[in-house]
Amino acid sequence: MTTQLKVMIIDDEEIVCKRLKPAIEKMGCEVEAFQDPVAALKRIEEQSFDVIVTDVRMDEIDGIQVLERAKSVHAETHVIVITGYAMMALAREAMQKGAFDFVSKPFKPNDIREVILRAAEDLGKPLDYTVSSKNGE
Amino acid sequence: MAEQRPSDDGTADLPDTIARLQETDEVTKALLARPQLSLRTQVILGFLVVFLLSLALAAAIIYSTYRVEGKIKFLEIVNDYVFEIDRARRHEKNYFLYSTNLKDALDSVYKAKQILENNIEELTRIIGRKQWEVITKNIDGYEGMLEMLASQRGKGPDGGPIDKAHELAVRKQGQRMILLAQDLMKKERRAVESSLANSRRIQSYSLVILLFFMITTAYLISGNIVRSIVRFESYAQRIAAGDFTPITPTRRYRDEFTNLGLAINYMMLELQKHESMLVQAHKMRAIGTLTAGVAHELNNPLNNISLTAHMMLEDYTDLDDDERRDMMVDVVKEAERAKQIVSNLLDFTRESETKLEPLDLVRLVRETIALAANQIKIAGIKVELAAMDDPPRILGDRQQLRQVFLNLILNAVEASDRGGKMQVLVHPSDEPDHLSVKVIDYGSGIPAKILPRIFEPFFTTKETGKGTGLGLSVSEGIIAKHSGHVKVDSREGKGTTFTVILPVTTLS
Repeated sequence: MTTQLKVMIIDDEEIVCKRLKPAIEKMGCEVEAFQDPVAALKRIEEQSFDVIVTDVRMDEIDGIQVLERAKSVHAETHVIVITGYAMMALAREAMQKGAFDFVSKPFKPNDIREVILRAAEDLGKPLDYTVSSKNGE
Repeated sequence: MAEQRPSDDGTADLPDTIARLQETDEVTKALLARPQLSLRTQVILGFLVVFLLSLALAAAIIYSTYRVEGKIKFLEIVNDYVFEIDRARRHEKNYFLYSTNLKDALDSVYKAKQILENNIEELTRIIGRKQWEVITKNIDGYEGMLEMLASQRGKGPDGGPIDKAHELAVRKQGQRMILLAQDLMKKERRAVESSLANSRRIQSYSLVILLFFMITTAYLISGNIVRSIVRFESYAQRIAAGDFTPITPTRRYRDEFTNLGLAINYMMLELQKHESMLVQAHKMRAIGTLTAGVAHELNNPLNNISLTAHMMLEDYTDLDDDERRDMMVDVVKEAERAKQIVSNLLDFTRESETKLEPLDLVRLVRETIALAANQIKIAGIKVELAAMDDPPRILGDRQQLRQVFLNLILNAVEASDRGGKMQVLVHPSDEPDHLSVKVIDYGSGIPAKILPRIFEPFFTTKETGKGTGLGLSVSEGIIAKHSGHVKVDSREGKGTTFTVILPVTTLS
């Protein structure tokens, strides 16, 4: 393992940050979680991330803005957008603007993990992690 | 606030409808309980009175003409009689002067007697039996005298020349008879004249009375009709203003207008039914909009619960008690949050009877904003609520007023640009004892040419299938029923302000 995959989570829901962070850390990634998108954007300026998982609907700055900003700072970054159920229009917009993929709420931790695995592979930094399907499936 | 009463579901406006039906039923009974006096009967009665009056007038005229005719007949008879007596007297005079024979005189006397005998009925009717007998006795006396003269053949009773005294007696008797007859004629002629004058008077008075009666009848009947029409005009106005109180009896009897009143009462019942159906239809639409927002917003707690549960399952053995407890607390909290998200909607969805109660308008508006919170959040709009402290109560139906404000707020959300803001103000109105609620958006505004039409039912600018065009029309109807009104002020490109003005109540 040369370098750890750097993942950022942005969601104004505290519980998403709290639970998703350990879930992704278990994949062997270095994870930073932000509830405040403003703080997250500031962090992007300082540090480039491989993968950013962001909620699309937030109060001050929405996921699309985060996507545009992240891509302009570091074009390599793969952005995974979390959308609400039946928000296909926003999902499509995100994909057009260069999102790697989107995940609809409500999601299972493994849904996100699978997308992150694919992103890591795409980035040439494959993760040594297998998504188990035994728990609660 | 989040209390739910499932038993209320599905009984939409039922007690209300029953109450209305009962009220209409009672009014119908009261309307029909009165004695009937139809317009047709009134007209027939009026004409009957006029006809009877005309009949009496005609009878009076016929009777007086008949009387006059009788008197004229009498005059003719008396005239004939006088003529014959006159002739008899002339012959009698010739007899005394030239000793002509007396037979001609006696012939005339017989003729005169015959006239008296033949017309005994007509004569006695006018002059009476007694007078007739006097006349007959006179002529009998005259006849006797002449006959005696004739039998003596120009000599006196003693065989000598005719006694002067006897001659005088005969002449006097003749003269008396003429005078008597002439006197009768004079009297009767005067009677005829007065009869004719009477008849003329009766005719002219009757005409005046008839005219008076006709005018009175026409005035009474048309007055009745006009008054009823005026009354129904006022009913139409109040019904148009949304007052559906049934028409109650105002007169002592019933007529064709009573049937019209019954028909209008029935119409109002149907109108109310349709109106409540429209209100309900519009509410269902609003619920649909809210439900989409709720479904969307529910994803967050649902996602949190799902995520937490999955992680707990995954790491169950690795977690210590505190961590597990922390996770369960999160699950419980998020479940509560989900309940809160749907409770406002459930509260609004719950159907209940129309109930007027004193309401805190500021609280009501605040609740409504909470109800629309999901939509507002999805649209990314900021709502500023500026409200007076401790507002006076207004009398209204909580559910219906909430429906109105929800409609205005959702419209404003839709009109606003993403990330924009809107304002809701609750303040005393310029009108005394009224409160005003202003819902202000800074969207594109309503084009001036369609502004006057926005309250029309089924008027919509949205594409087919998107809007019912009922929102503002139903809202205006609800506010009108609360004795208030809705105003709109819009500037293209600047935004729109809807103002709802409601009267305050002294009830608390």
